[in-house]
Amino acid sequence: MNRATRIAVIVAMAIAVLAPIGLVVYQSFLDGPFFQPKTAFTLSAYEFVLDDEDFFDALWNSAVIAFGMTAIAVPVGAILAFLMVRTDLPGRRWIEPVILVPMFVSSVVLAFGFVVSLGPAGIVSLWVKSWLGTIPWYLYSKWMLIVIAGLTHVPHVFLYTSSGLRSLGSDVEEAARMTGAGPLRVALTVSLPMVMPNILYAAVLVFFLGFELFGLPLVLGDPEGILVLATYLYKLTNKLGTPSYQLMAVVVVSIICIALPLVALQRHLLRTANRYVSVKGKASAQKPVTIGFWRWPAVALIVCWLAFTVVIPISGLILRAFVSSWGEGVQLSQVLTLDHFRELTHFPNLVRGIVNTLLIASVGGALSVGVYTVLNLAAHRWQSGWTRLMDYLVLLPRAMPGLVAGLAIFWVFLFTPFLSPMRQTMIAIWVAYTLVWLAYGMRLVSGALLQIGPELEEAGRVVGASAGRVSRDLTLPLIKVGLISSWLLIFITFMREYSTGVYLLSPGTEVIGSLLVSLWGSGAVDLVTALSTVNIAMIGCGLLLMSLFGKRSHG
Amino acid sequence: MAKLTIDDLHLSYGSNHILKGISATFAQGEIVALLGRSGSGKTTLLRSIAGLEEPSKGTITIGNSPVFDGAAGLNVPSEKRGLGLVFQSYALWPHKTVFENVAYGLRLRNVPGAEITQRVAAVLEGVGLGHLGDRYPHQMSGGQQQRVALARALVYNPPVILLDEPLSNLDAKLREEARIWIRSLIKKMNLTAVFVTHDQVEAMAIADRVVLLDGGRIVQAGTPQQLYTEPVSLFASEFMGTNNQIKSRVLDKRGGHTQIELSGFALWGKDRGGKAVGEDATGVIRLEQVAVVAGEGENCIQATLETSLYLGSQWEHVFRCGDLSLRTFGGPLAPGAHWLHLPPEQLWVF
Repeated sequence: MNRATRIAVIVAMAIAVLAPIGLVVYQSFLDGPFFQPKTAFTLSAYEFVLDDEDFFDALWNSAVIAFGMTAIAVPVGAILAFLMVRTDLPGRRWIEPVILVPMFVSSVVLAFGFVVSLGPAGIVSLWVKSWLGTIPWYLYSKWMLIVIAGLTHVPHVFLYTSSGLRSLGSDVEEAARMTGAGPLRVALTVSLPMVMPNILYAAVLVFFLGFELFGLPLVLGDPEGILVLATYLYKLTNKLGTPSYQLMAVVVVSIICIALPLVALQRHLLRTANRYVSVKGKASAQKPVTIGFWRWPAVALIVCWLAFTVVIPISGLILRAFVSSWGEGVQLSQVLTLDHFRELTHFPNLVRGIVNTLLIASVGGALSVGVYTVLNLAAHRWQSGWTRLMDYLVLLPRAMPGLVAGLAIFWVFLFTPFLSPMRQTMIAIWVAYTLVWLAYGMRLVSGALLQIGPELEEAGRVVGASAGRVSRDLTLPLIKVGLISSWLLIFITFMREYSTGVYLLSPGTEVIGSLLVSLWGSGAVDLVTALSTVNIAMIGCGLLLMSLFGKRSHG
Repeated sequence: MAKLTIDDLHLSYGSNHILKGISATFAQGEIVALLGRSGSGKTTLLRSIAGLEEPSKGTITIGNSPVFDGAAGLNVPSEKRGLGLVFQSYALWPHKTVFENVAYGLRLRNVPGAEITQRVAAVLEGVGLGHLGDRYPHQMSGGQQQRVALARALVYNPPVILLDEPLSNLDAKLREEARIWIRSLIKKMNLTAVFVTHDQVEAMAIADRVVLLDGGRIVQAGTPQQLYTEPVSLFASEFMGTNNQIKSRVLDKRGGHTQIELSGFALWGKDRGGKAVGEDATGVIRLEQVAVVAGEGENCIQATLETSLYLGSQWEHVFRCGDLSLRTFGGPLAPGAHWLHLPPEQLWVF
């Protein structure tokens, strides 16, 4: 790419990133919807929101949940990572992929699973009640919400901590064992402190995700009226009867104001983490720590966590999708049915939703990876102010939760004359998805690009290839495998995405995620569980594809 | 005729000056080594010639056409310079076969298919890999990969071929063989070659001319013999060989010679540093120039044999004379005191 193309690409990205945010900020200072002819600048929207008790309730709840889930997810995830990566725990090979499952299933689907399994009339609840005569928990309490949020975010901590531990030489642990430390002591005093930057990064990430939380509180907080920022925003639409754009804009601005510093902190931590790891990169021969008797409690811990966060909600949900009704005294063999799935096919919007989801994940995902690749190539091996600007721009959409970004994109399509015909098409959905996952997708592709040494491209230049030909003949073929695996990850990500499409939901733009949210509101449990099961099956296929591809490209 | 001319080349990263005015000419058919420590600017100079770094000032001319001119704002991109470059890591493209790696430069030049097949086969034959065109780089040994990298740089007949530490990734035995065949191949094809190395033995073995760099400047340029036997500075003498160093003071000067003192013995040596009488000076003599002699004489010192190391083909002896230790090579020696002769022509005073 030559300089002019690079700059053009970066400017285009800047417009795509800044337009939605700019529009939201602009809207927050108006007294009516931006498309109405007579609007004036005012602070009244801010006054209204800052006067609303519900807003501060939601803010407080968000903070409590974010703290609580960080306090749960970080220690569990870190210990899990140590056990998986550094010890001779039995069954590590098959436990590890299962640990990541909560990351791949959309959190509304998980939340539905908890409701049908552990809710007051849930499958597991009734079973426990038949033994104990009572249900010793209440699913819809704030504590339960924190525990569930914490345990379902363990994979994030696990992922970052384990990658740090993997690049750590085992000599440091062996030295500690020689000095007389037991395995637990080794983990707590040597291994984990050495990957502290990674853990810290994961902690900030989980805290940040806590503020973004939408699916879990929407489903689990609703019965007791527990609002968080995202659900407050969602309810705001219905609260005043008419859509009050300026109020929504203010909430969005406040969410971005909280998220942005956290994103910046994360970025800073990631840099320090990388620096740390490279210093102690003598990971040539890793020998697992033998933990002897300790492996039984360790296995028990992992099995309990897996049972609670993966097995119970997902199996409950799938089971519920195949029974006609559920309650006390129901015989399982008499209620098994496929009716809910048949019923799905009677609703054209649900069928469209399934087709659209497949399209956005496969074709849309591939296009998005294309966009991320072009953006990456624009900044590839170019040190300049433009690439630094790009680094910062990528962070902005990260500070917008999917719900918020979907709303902002909806407004941009409403506001821009030449875009408005496309507002009710899948193009709007694709733009929103691509923008929401910009930072993630950019990192996937740049990870692949970092694998190729600069001299491979320089060799092409010296031999006589122009910059464009080097990209085409050398760079892209070299990252082909990386691009395909990026596409598979984006495929799964788009498949499970639920919040971004909520405000863009209209006839023609249905996707499974946003349909689930709106169906849940209408109380159609049968359809919700059936559609969730379809979603889980699709994601399962994606995961299968990924592991097959991974095997093939390594073997 | 000068094939490659560099004039007053400067390059800096921010406030860090890497090249501080390099001027050199490279003649047709000449093999030149850019020799220096890491950080001396030798690789940066090579990359500037290749067009991979952008100097701030100066000119680079290939044949008669300028490819870089700081004042005129001219900087011809790498791909238009038509040079050949062998990377330290070889930089073979892992997704292309050996044949395709070599053929790529010809394809970019729109050479017809049949001619490509024939020319690639010829050049692979030339580097001794005629039968391995279908392999992928990862299926080859380090030595074979290096030959492919060289073939890739040679196939389109570049006016100048550049080599960045071409032997540093080979193990010791292979490196000695590669020295011989690289030199004979380049000579046979009558190519102009510039190669970077930090190993003075390698530089002297392969090159017709050595350019010694330090701190972004040229310290000395000349034939290997000139650099080894007539170093212009203490740095050059230390870099090119293994020496005994005598820290001393100038006692007397006469006709291009300087007298220094070593533990009570007065020694005459060649005046190389131009130090005045009474000034501190350093005497330098190559290890192999110190000879064990039967008895006292002109420019001789008496020293005690401290230890002897057996090196296989010869012994290395370590002598002590006052607070100075002197090393030399030779046959086996009895312990005790010996007389050592330091020839005045070989003892350089800086």
